[in-house]
Amino acid sequence: MELIYTLRVLIKSILFVILWSKCEGRESEFNYVTCGSLVKLLNTRHNVRLHSHDVKYGSGSGQQSVTGVESADDANSYWRIRGKPDGTCQRGVPIQCGQAVRITHMTTGRNLHTHHFSSPLSNNQEVSAFGENGEGDDLDVWRVQCDGSIWEREEAVRFKHVGTDAFLSVTGEQYGNPIQGQKEVHGMGIANQNNYWKAMEGVFILPSQEPLRHNHEEL
Amino acid sequence: MAVKGMNLGSVCYLVLYFVAAVLAGRDFYKILGVSKSASVRDIKKAYRKLALQLHPDRNPDDPTAADKFADLGSAYEVLSDDEKRKQYDAYGEDGLKEGHHGSHNDIFSSFFGDFGFMFGGNRQGQQDRNIPRGNDIVLDLEVTLEEVYSGNFVEVVRNKPVAKEAPGKRKCNCRQEMRTTQLGPGRFQMTQEVVCDECPNIKLVNEERTLEVEIEQGVRDEMEYPFIGEGEPHIDGEPGDLRFRIKVMKHPVFERRGDDLYTNVTISLVEALVGFEMDITHLDGHTVHIERDKITKPGARLWKKGEGLPNFDNNNIRGSLIVSFDIEFPQTQLDDNQKEGVRGILKQSSVQKVYNGLQGY
Repeated sequence: MELIYTLRVLIKSILFVILWSKCEGRESEFNYVTCGSLVKLLNTRHNVRLHSHDVKYGSGSGQQSVTGVESADDANSYWRIRGKPDGTCQRGVPIQCGQAVRITHMTTGRNLHTHHFSSPLSNNQEVSAFGENGEGDDLDVWRVQCDGSIWEREEAVRFKHVGTDAFLSVTGEQYGNPIQGQKEVHGMGIANQNNYWKAMEGVFILPSQEPLRHNHEEL
Repeated sequence: MAVKGMNLGSVCYLVLYFVAAVLAGRDFYKILGVSKSASVRDIKKAYRKLALQLHPDRNPDDPTAADKFADLGSAYEVLSDDEKRKQYDAYGEDGLKEGHHGSHNDIFSSFFGDFGFMFGGNRQGQQDRNIPRGNDIVLDLEVTLEEVYSGNFVEVVRNKPVAKEAPGKRKCNCRQEMRTTQLGPGRFQMTQEVVCDECPNIKLVNEERTLEVEIEQGVRDEMEYPFIGEGEPHIDGEPGDLRFRIKVMKHPVFERRGDDLYTNVTISLVEALVGFEMDITHLDGHTVHIERDKITKPGARLWKKGEGLPNFDNNNIRGSLIVSFDIEFPQTQLDDNQKEGVRGILKQSSVQKVYNGLQGY
């Protein structure tokens, strides 16, 4: 009797495990940021999204400005994560921690860029959007700094500039007209709570299967 | 007599039962028009093509349209899932255990987006221009030439803000209006005032879903695949669209021109003179065999019909593969004996024609 009882419990628990694992369903379990994906980046300290638009800085380099905005539904906050110009980033492959990437603004096609100019409000390092159609220069490359081995969507990461070693940061200074309420985004040498960014809304590309297969029709 | 009658009766019932059993389960492979050994990609491709044709909105005069469309959805749901497909192959439709996990609408919108379609490229409701629309999102999708040749599906996860009702009211449709106030007898003042309506309050909540983008065979650079309603939301109106713009990447071996593929081969001087045999590995792994027994001049081109890319509008038509040859001359210099030998073998008299090569003479 005892044996039958334990057997029944065992069978029930096995069934439970099988059913539970089957019910994962088709929800997205994909948690990584991959090459080619479109993302909005949220600064976790100041709750603003990385943003750019067709407005140029009135000082410094005079290039296209990059700011932080509070709204969550602006298409001008979308950035595409791409590899370096040498083409080593394959579509859909998760970005490794420490990997060098370019971050391209979706609507204007300019790359996140920084250089030795002063930012207008806080006198830190100016961060701009530079280039045409996704092609700029060597100062468009940033290294993703994170704790594990792969850039996970749930994780806040840092972006360290390759060339000036500055971290992409926000410290809270606000612009007036014509970009009222938007916050300054700049580069800073120190790593602190102000340089954490998290991937929020976006279109995350999953890795594809290789299309290679033998063609069968004609011989 | 009664016994015989009963036997005949039971045989009839048995036959009826078997016929019913066979007819009871639908043939999902036939509904999708694919073979039993079709890959998941073939199944996705078949579904996408048929879904556009069989959608009830597209067939308003067909009373069976809704049923056919539902059959298509069930067929895709089973055959695109490994577990369910195995069960179906072994036991038929009745052998499938649980009911539907997702509705057919979910499946359809993962291929085309939320709000109906773009037959003829017009969105329904576009006639009323007053409905504000959220921003469109355009994503450049890089594809390889291999994918253009064989086709592929790209799965993406779309995480987007969605407008949801919230408690309370908010101000909407704010506009400037002129108000006239009377200051005294015969004296009026016109002032500008901001006037708003009251609307239900809205908050934005992030939602996630999987979308399937097809890289169709023969797709051309800059072609777009729209997903209706998957763009940015608009608090007072409809969401915009998400469009995938195809960007065909350069290939180290093949160059595309329309449906034709161009490639170059360097052969040795000996091979150019005496002939050679070789294989070129194509984009999907099959080989193209080349055999020459005549002299191959530098710049010579070989046309291989049917070895180009499939045409986008008709996948059965293919372009050509054009192979251009260039010659690699020997690296070491010839000594006097070898020079004599060459003169003897080739028996070509001296040609020293001087002319202007740049003006077509």
